Amino acid sequence: MSSTLLDAPAPPRQEIRRKRRPPYLPWLLLSATMVLLGVLTGFPLVRLVVMSFQEYERAQLMGLPAEWVGFDNYAAILTDVDGFWTVLARSFVLMVVLVVVTIVLGMLVALLMMRVGKAMRLLVSVGLLLAWAMPSLAATTVWGWLFDTQYGVVNNLLTKITGDRWFGYSWLLDPLSFFVIVTCIVVWGAVPFVAFTLYAGLTQIPEEVIEAAQLDGASAFQRFRLIQLPYVRSIVTVLVVLSMIWDLKLFTQVFVLQDIGGDRELTSTIGVYIYQTGMAQGHYGVASAIGVIFVIVMLAIAYPYVRRTLREEEL
Amino acid sequence: MNKNRLVGAAASAITLTLALSACGNAGGAAAPEETGPGEVRVWLVGTDTPPEARDYLKKTFEEENPGSTLTIEEQAWDGLVDKYTTALSGSDAPDVVEIGNTQAAAFTSAGYFREITADEFETLGGSDLLPGFVEAGDWEGKHYALPYYSGSRVVFYSKQVLGDTAVPTTLDEYVDTAVDLKTDDLSGVYWPGQDWYNALPFIWENGGYIAEQAEDGTWDAGFSSEGGLAGLEQIQTIMTKGNNAPSDAQETDLQVPFCEGKVAFLSAPSWIQWSINAPEKPEDPDGVPGCASTYGKDLEGLALPGKDGGAAQVFAGGSNIAIAQKSARPDLAMSAYEILLSDEYQSILAGIGLFPAKTSLFEKVDQSTSIGKAAAEAAANAKLTPASPKWADVESKTLLQTAFSRIAAGEDVKTIAEKLDADIEEILNS
Repeated sequence: MSSTLLDAPAPPRQEIRRKRRPPYLPWLLLSATMVLLGVLTGFPLVRLVVMSFQEYERAQLMGLPAEWVGFDNYAAILTDVDGFWTVLARSFVLMVVLVVVTIVLGMLVALLMMRVGKAMRLLVSVGLLLAWAMPSLAATTVWGWLFDTQYGVVNNLLTKITGDRWFGYSWLLDPLSFFVIVTCIVVWGAVPFVAFTLYAGLTQIPEEVIEAAQLDGASAFQRFRLIQLPYVRSIVTVLVVLSMIWDLKLFTQVFVLQDIGGDRELTSTIGVYIYQTGMAQGHYGVASAIGVIFVIVMLAIAYPYVRRTLREEEL
Repeated sequence: MNKNRLVGAAASAITLTLALSACGNAGGAAAPEETGPGEVRVWLVGTDTPPEARDYLKKTFEEENPGSTLTIEEQAWDGLVDKYTTALSGSDAPDVVEIGNTQAAAFTSAGYFREITADEFETLGGSDLLPGFVEAGDWEGKHYALPYYSGSRVVFYSKQVLGDTAVPTTLDEYVDTAVDLKTDDLSGVYWPGQDWYNALPFIWENGGYIAEQAEDGTWDAGFSSEGGLAGLEQIQTIMTKGNNAPSDAQETDLQVPFCEGKVAFLSAPSWIQWSINAPEKPEDPDGVPGCASTYGKDLEGLALPGKDGGAAQVFAGGSNIAIAQKSARPDLAMSAYEILLSDEYQSILAGIGLFPAKTSLFEKVDQSTSIGKAAAEAAANAKLTPASPKWADVESKTLLQTAFSRIAAGEDVKTIAEKLDADIEEILNS
């Protein structure tokens, strides 16, 4: 590639304009990106689709030829009510809860940052940044320690406060409290991004508009509902769509907590389920098919967002 | 314009895919065998293999193969099957790997290990090698993974904690003693909920079974059989009424509660005695503190008592060892493999109370102490998990850990057992 560049040095700018040659240069500049994308995203994707139509187990990974099974993998998954559908439904419910809590809390923090003084705002920003910068693996491990059955600070505090014996109470064994903890960790990690983005949007609203509304006697909540919210609506949409995608893809937090002591079967989300089916149990064909179905679900969710972005570009 | 862009992108993606898959196929062909010095990576799991054995392996290998190096990389038992599945099929596979005896079948059946030919088998020990473990590493009449060591669980106790309480002689007495001894600060038996290995003897002693294969090849799981349920009831009694260990914890660092003096009986692999008997202030900065001067001083061992006295049927814990099919240097890997199964190396393992891979070396295990004697009694009566290549999936799905955590949390035994049986049958019969 570089040799082509050396052999034929780019002609001066004016010459290009005169000749109106097809634009090779943009393609050339794009090619590096496309090669990378092709290798890192395209190839695995094609492989995923291919594998989803094969019987692909541990032995095939070692070079045994894979047998084509048509839609068998898909049929097995789509009829697996206790497995796939339950996990998918669980992931969706969890996603809805996570998105709602994240956006609401993020909005509240953003509004808080609008109101507080400079020093406090700096403090809040630093706090948010720290939470955001924390890798989720490390964060989950620490949260796991907080709720540790034997030495956890939560059980210790509860014992001190209530006087009952909380030592040995397992928070992770019960799926409901497991997901409460997952929600805490995920929301804790996701609020900073939402808060910063919304804060940035909210500060762009012209001062006069708010002032005028205030003079007209609009209450704080009315100002929020009728002025601030409509102004940042497009930002909220983007945040909701992005959060939906991130929260559906949830893996690290659930996987780590399961390792610490959760019931895998009752707490798996779709990402973890794919990992368990594929990596842990060696059913790569079936796992790929779940992956493909999941990609389709994700595309359906992302579609409005992509369409919106494209439409805005056109304007 | 837009259309053009799409077509272009699609075209390059397809070209790339083809090019890459072509590469992939070419890479699959056997590379010409290298000779001369090289590197060998040995994966050992957990801390069971003592440092002396590791040093001996490295030193001997590098003496026998001048210029070559051997690296030992320690793996964790947690998630081992997942890890091996990817690591052993990749281009950067380790050369020699240790694998849990119950997990071996998942890999031997799928071609992950290099075959040990009949000649090699004879050289490495032949009929002297532990028969049950050789069987665990066989697939369709060929050898793939040979025994590494075996070590059944021993019940540890210290007279300082136990006091005048009589040492139980039957399984029922063991349960009763545990319940009697338990206070808020003392576990009669310290039993983290996820430790399913320790639960199996109760099932077996009460006449239950994990899973049995019928003549038509289907598996029938037996936790909800009459004997199985009786065993689970006893397990629940100990776990909930005789135990302070967390119901969702794993059996790691068991010496910690023992060294706090908060445990009367601790059923654990025999090498735990060295963790308990380690000095309070380890010389090695990474060392784990023990309690050599207190509860380690009068540490005693006992084979888990059976229903009618004697030693109970316990789980035959241990490891197999194999050469990876994708090892870049099978010649050097075999050299390391020979050392691992040599009398000298195996004697080091025997020295710390593990049962060596060769029956002729059993006498090297010190049986003058109560711990050594208990380990030998337990080993003589040890049993394995069902011999199915799919058993590893039961383990990697952590079905048993979850079930016993729930039992430890006090949930209904019958419901758990029926669910567990259904899940196990679904996997084994799939």
